[in-house]
Amino acid sequence: MEKQLIISVSREFGSGGHEIASELARRFNLPLYDKNILEQIACKHNLNIRRLEPYDEAPKNIFTSRNVKGFSNSPEEQVAQMQFRYLRAKADEGVSFVVLGRCAEEVLKDYPCLVSIFVLSDIAFKKERTMARDNTSEEEALELMARADRRRKYYHNQHCRGKWGDSRNYDLCVNSACLGIGATTDLLEGYIRSRLALM
Amino acid sequence: MVPAQIAATAIFLVMFLLLVLEKFPRHFVTLTCGLAMLVLVFGICMRDPSAIVDSLSFKSFISPTFWYSSGQVETTTGINWETILFIAGMMIMVEGMASSGFFRWLCIKLARMVHFKPAPIFILFMILSAALSMFIDSITVIMFLAAVTAELARLMGLSPTPLILAEIFCANLGGSATMCGDPPNIIIGASLGYSFFDFISNTGIIALVSMVLVVPYFYFFFRKHLIPSGTGADPSSFPDPKDAITSKRGFGISCGIFAAAVVLLVTHAQTGLTVATIGLSIGLITLLTAGKQAGMLLKKLDYATLLFFIGLFVAVSGLEYTGTLELLAQLIQFVSGGNVYIMVAIIIWGSALASAFIDNIPFAATMIPVIRTLSLAQGVDLQTLAWALSVGTDIGGSATPIGASANVVGTSIAAKNGFPVTWGQYCKAQAPATILVLVVATAIIFVRYL
Repeated sequence: MEKQLIISVSREFGSGGHEIASELARRFNLPLYDKNILEQIACKHNLNIRRLEPYDEAPKNIFTSRNVKGFSNSPEEQVAQMQFRYLRAKADEGVSFVVLGRCAEEVLKDYPCLVSIFVLSDIAFKKERTMARDNTSEEEALELMARADRRRKYYHNQHCRGKWGDSRNYDLCVNSACLGIGATTDLLEGYIRSRLALM
Repeated sequence: MVPAQIAATAIFLVMFLLLVLEKFPRHFVTLTCGLAMLVLVFGICMRDPSAIVDSLSFKSFISPTFWYSSGQVETTTGINWETILFIAGMMIMVEGMASSGFFRWLCIKLARMVHFKPAPIFILFMILSAALSMFIDSITVIMFLAAVTAELARLMGLSPTPLILAEIFCANLGGSATMCGDPPNIIIGASLGYSFFDFISNTGIIALVSMVLVVPYFYFFFRKHLIPSGTGADPSSFPDPKDAITSKRGFGISCGIFAAAVVLLVTHAQTGLTVATIGLSIGLITLLTAGKQAGMLLKKLDYATLLFFIGLFVAVSGLEYTGTLELLAQLIQFVSGGNVYIMVAIIIWGSALASAFIDNIPFAATMIPVIRTLSLAQGVDLQTLAWALSVGTDIGGSATPIGASANVVGTSIAAKNGFPVTWGQYCKAQAPATILVLVVATAIIFVRYL
């Protein structure tokens, strides 16, 4: 692909955002950056990934964290900043990629090649998917969804000016329950190709 | 409580909450709350323009004792411009030293002296951290020391975390030894008229005794982590101290200015020069000798911190003028039942507990009028209470990762190098050491002063 293309996919838990991002990466023949960013950072700097993993896409606790002259004691903040630096470096190198979450729609907003997407879904759709995937009861699935989305929201809003899931921060917000995962991916592919033609 | 006291307390609590939440820059918070204190408390509630003038304390500049102290002790309220000028001057000096490569050179030189062996480096860097922090702010010390430590630890095949944690503790301990080592001490010294010698001969003794205990404590606590993984690095891969120096001329000048600052501080009780005069002189000499770099040094000056202090002093003066802090002093009197041992213990351990979780600078600034009131009301020697406050605020901050600025900077550097430090990890090592030093400090203060 000659033109640089960066697709950021943010998502609600259970909405199929990860599946959609993977499929978009396959269709556009791009690497997908998700938790594997940490593996690459750890590999590059000779770090132990097990030390970093617990803080991936995790919000910091404001009562146990403090900032001093740009330094923060929060491991969550450090890991987030490592990932943001990694994404910016890749974008600066002219690499095309799909990135899942990690505040990419704001971190990379200055790059004209960015297409930012937010995948939401109906509760029933998300619940069914979560129950099937994690083999949980309805109650457990609802609890898991609420907890994961709360965590993502706090994480996002701590690092970004725009609020998580606010349609004004993304190029396109789509409800995956309306068309299903496959057709939603088709829709997004068409949209991205149109955007690519205009770049 | 009268309306002015209620308004002052509300503004102060909002300020503290906003400082904890970190939603806005710290200096913005203290300046806004300071302004609110001037307008709402002094202007509207008290209708007292003289309180505003006193709080801004501009007249202190024209007082001869601001620049030269002829021996008499003068306590101040409102903005402590002496503290502001001193901190600004030291910031310029430290910036000059950093840009010449002084700190990196010193760290690598010492590491090379012990042939880059982990255990000696561990002990030497703890002592270096404490010694430097006696004269330079602990944030700067840890910023450079932790960065070099992380680099050397990687080459030695060690985790930098144990070394950095021990250095952080010693930086806070070293800072407690002198008047210029830690911001609470600068505020206490400048507000109550104590000299460098007063601190070194009181809190300095406590810090020295504590160091003798803390160095072996950390060594035994972390000794298993000081064994390198693998065969160790090739000696030629370790950095050369000479490479750290960016400018030989700048390096020589920095060393000279630093030595002059140490001499001026150590002798300021004899020379009569106040810390304001010393800070201003050191800052000006650094700028004059920096040549074309002077503009850059001024640009890099941490104005946000200076503004933070100015706003903080005004906010605290609101509590002081309205008599709110007298209520806190009365509470301490009531709880202690007039028993001076309990009173001192409350100040040491209460300050330590508070400083472990909240910024110790506003806490110390708030407590100064409280101990002044307690001293007057109970006839307790003010110096005893001042040392108790100093040790409590300086050492208590070591217990948690957010208690002192050096802790935040050190743990952040460890994390940036791939070793995130959790609260559990941090407190397991530092909390017992903090308690150990507080017990030692309490015992020394009880035996020596009461």
